[in-house]
Amino acid sequence: MKHRLLTKIGAAVAAVATMFAVAPGAAIAADSDSGSTLRVAGGTNYDTFNPFNATMASTTDVLTLVYDSLVENAAKDNSDAPGLAKSWKVSDDKLTWTYTMQSGAEWSDGEPITADDALWTYESIMKNPDLQTAFGSNVESIASVKAPDKNTFEITMKEPQAQNPGNVWILPKHVWEKQNAAKYANDKDVVGSGPFTLKSYDKNSGVELVKNQKFWRGADKVGFDRILFIPYKNTDASVQALKNGEIDYVSGLTAAQFNSLKNDPNITTYAANNRRYYSMAINPGAKDINGKDMGDGNAVLHDKKVRQAIVMAIDNKTLIEKAFGGYGQEATGEVPAVYPLYHWDASESDLTLAYNPDKAKQLLDEAGLKMGSDGYRTDKEGKPLELRLLVGAEYPNWVQMATYIKPWLKEVGLNVKVITESYSQVSDASSVAKYDMYFTGWGIGADPDWQMSINRCSSRPNADGSGQLSESNWCDPEFDKLYDQQHVEMDQTKRSEILKKMQQMIYDAAVNDVITYQQALVAYRKDKVTGWVAQPTDGGIYTQQNGYWGYMGAKPVASASGSSASASGVSPAVWAGIGIVIVVVIVGGVFFAKKKHANADDEE
Amino acid sequence: MSETIPASGAVPAPPADAMSADERAAEERDARGGAAGWGKYILTKAGGALCSLVMVIVLGFFAFRILPGDPAKSITSGRQVTPAQLEAIRHQYGLDQPLIVQFWKYLTDMLHGDLGTSYVYHEPVTRLIGERVGPTILLTGSAALLSLLIGLWLGQRAAWRRNTTFDRVHTGIALIFWSVPTFWFGLLLIFLFSGTLHLLPSGGMMTAGTSYAGLALVVDVVRHLVLPVISMTAVSYAQYLVIMRSSLLEEMNGDYLTVARAKGLKEDDVRRRHAVPNALLPTITMIFMTLGGLIGGAVTVETVFSWPGLGYLTYQALSAPDFPVLQGTFVVFSGIVIIMNFLAEIVYRIIDPRLRK
Repeated sequence: MKHRLLTKIGAAVAAVATMFAVAPGAAIAADSDSGSTLRVAGGTNYDTFNPFNATMASTTDVLTLVYDSLVENAAKDNSDAPGLAKSWKVSDDKLTWTYTMQSGAEWSDGEPITADDALWTYESIMKNPDLQTAFGSNVESIASVKAPDKNTFEITMKEPQAQNPGNVWILPKHVWEKQNAAKYANDKDVVGSGPFTLKSYDKNSGVELVKNQKFWRGADKVGFDRILFIPYKNTDASVQALKNGEIDYVSGLTAAQFNSLKNDPNITTYAANNRRYYSMAINPGAKDINGKDMGDGNAVLHDKKVRQAIVMAIDNKTLIEKAFGGYGQEATGEVPAVYPLYHWDASESDLTLAYNPDKAKQLLDEAGLKMGSDGYRTDKEGKPLELRLLVGAEYPNWVQMATYIKPWLKEVGLNVKVITESYSQVSDASSVAKYDMYFTGWGIGADPDWQMSINRCSSRPNADGSGQLSESNWCDPEFDKLYDQQHVEMDQTKRSEILKKMQQMIYDAAVNDVITYQQALVAYRKDKVTGWVAQPTDGGIYTQQNGYWGYMGAKPVASASGSSASASGVSPAVWAGIGIVIVVVIVGGVFFAKKKHANADDEE
Repeated sequence: MSETIPASGAVPAPPADAMSADERAAEERDARGGAAGWGKYILTKAGGALCSLVMVIVLGFFAFRILPGDPAKSITSGRQVTPAQLEAIRHQYGLDQPLIVQFWKYLTDMLHGDLGTSYVYHEPVTRLIGERVGPTILLTGSAALLSLLIGLWLGQRAAWRRNTTFDRVHTGIALIFWSVPTFWFGLLLIFLFSGTLHLLPSGGMMTAGTSYAGLALVVDVVRHLVLPVISMTAVSYAQYLVIMRSSLLEEMNGDYLTVARAKGLKEDDVRRRHAVPNALLPTITMIFMTLGGLIGGAVTVETVFSWPGLGYLTYQALSAPDFPVLQGTFVVFSGIVIIMNFLAEIVYRIIDPRLRK
């Protein structure tokens, strides 16, 4: 009986071993007949591919490759560039934008792309509240839209604005008008205008995109025939998959993962300048929309000098080095350096709050916070002073930053209590201003108007945290005046100047100490893919762009195209050999074990 | 194994023979009417299970409302949203209704088998769960089966030869694996078998972008299954080993074993046919507890190996918080645990005649 059992085990083991031996060969056969494929380590969570409802970054990264707006952001510098509209002009009263559509452009199913499609898309969002999840804020200030002819589309604004309103993905009317637009899943054989179309989505195997043969910029400009977003739930595994040749591109690496891939001969690592800033917000004494005090921020922070002292006590360079592994750009204002049009390129003398602990102590003395015998300052009434720093536990960089900032502030005499909790708790607390300091971060869009708008006095929330959203619970009427000016300033140079001035005001107010523009760490198989187009071209990101330039430009390495044999690098014969060895070893082991057991039984 | 056991008052029937033994025992010991006793027993237990289920349904709604975070805000976080948009989203989800109204809707929907619609995926929760049940059971089921077989087999061997090298080595190894963090062990396997040896895929349930069918698909899935199952099995078989070992040790000095040996049975047969069946009872409880937990998935293993399972769905839902998904999975998981416990009580009574006295 035992013998039979062991034989069965042996057979099962042999079957498993054969799987090792057979499958890689099968994979090669399946891959080679579908042209060149770029395999990307993708997310596992996609909310919906319905562009009206999609909000997750994982989803919008995919949809960006499928749809165009009237106006795109150039790869070179993120400036406005022709999309489905080849040109546009603004009326003298600055209220009406007139777009001229690209001539001869077609959807991926061969239907022409016309102003009617734009009209349908804008009107649908404006009229139906169920379609406003993704683009509601883009159409908020639009009064009306019309399409006088097939090639012309007009948007009339409620009031003038400098930001181009042509930034909504245009959808094919002939597909969508037949559907219930709010419920349509849009995850199979999608009709689009971008370089790729969404062929299928499966929760197990991910997203499959195929080249759009009708791409209006020219299908020959698209490098790969197919892109797969393969679901990976953690980057440690996707790093191994990259080494294993299962995937060709992985993003979102930690500094440690990134460094570990640097020496792999098949892999190129790339630290890209990104459009995200990380900062520490300081509560300046929040007030709600009605001007009443809200939250529980410490009163000493109402004094600008104290806030400035805190900023000066923090050494951003060291934080970038230690908490970000050196992969971050030094920051000035809130708009990252990847947006040269709006980034505040401050000179050293502008940066008055640069690291300077001595000056910080002096400012705290001036503010009347006296040093106690225990090495900590008291508040103005001489009572002990403790400042809370809220840290979102999900962000290892932040947790690490706190371990540096606490002793630095102690050095200037400020007692900091670090409170590490879930980010949603921090977020809840910050929206009702129940914090002294907390770490935060924002991804910044190509136009900084919205980011600046949430610093206005009118953006302050209701007392319970509902209503408007305020970035730093700060309010300065002078800032609001500048906001209104840039909002309608059509001259790019003048508008840029105003926006830089506004960032300087936030900096001087010391309510949001921007610490770094963190770099995006990516790695790819240099034996499989090349030709990435960065945004901005000089040192910018390959993916998660404002546009599809990176994925469009990526192309297979000539020698590796059409076959993934190099991924495993082992011939089927070798696999069969390995399989046989495993079988022999295991079967042998089983017999040996059996013999030994029999002996043992005899002894007892 | 199917031979009948020699009649002996001291030897309770093994599970293989359970039903007939049960009938015999019922006739002999409960002459006043076993059916009535059974009916009362089942009713009591079913009543208890039902009470638990109601508690779970109520708790499922209120417990998750304590979580910090505003679903509307976190779903749109990092994006440009107007207060009007946020209001529209809250209205869409029914979050602008009073809590008691939301609760009533939750209750009535649940009676219709509707667990609500996910905030994040815009899909019915029943469908989300349905899609992931298969992969989840495949992973947790294979791992549970394997660890059960390995654990029980090694456990009885170890007990039978207590304090030998075999016992010490296997108990030691099992306990070491038991103490190893799953996350770390899984990554180690990926590092070894995918990153270095290039033998097995690093994650997922099937190779993306392929259209395998039939045997090729099975092979592909099994290849993806190997590493996650090994890591789950390695860290969990120790519990069966230890339980089996200790319960067998308790039987080791039973007189009936001496009798069996005196009949000239081989040592292996004494162990397998006489000692082990009696030592199985605590293990049965353990098995049912495991069965109940299977559907909940294994968050860490699913995360490490990017397995499309229910554990990860639940974990992700916490961060939104995606109330319908949390409620739905909580009720379904708890419901299954309750049902399994109920079944365990019944099976236990069937296989252990002492409980029927």
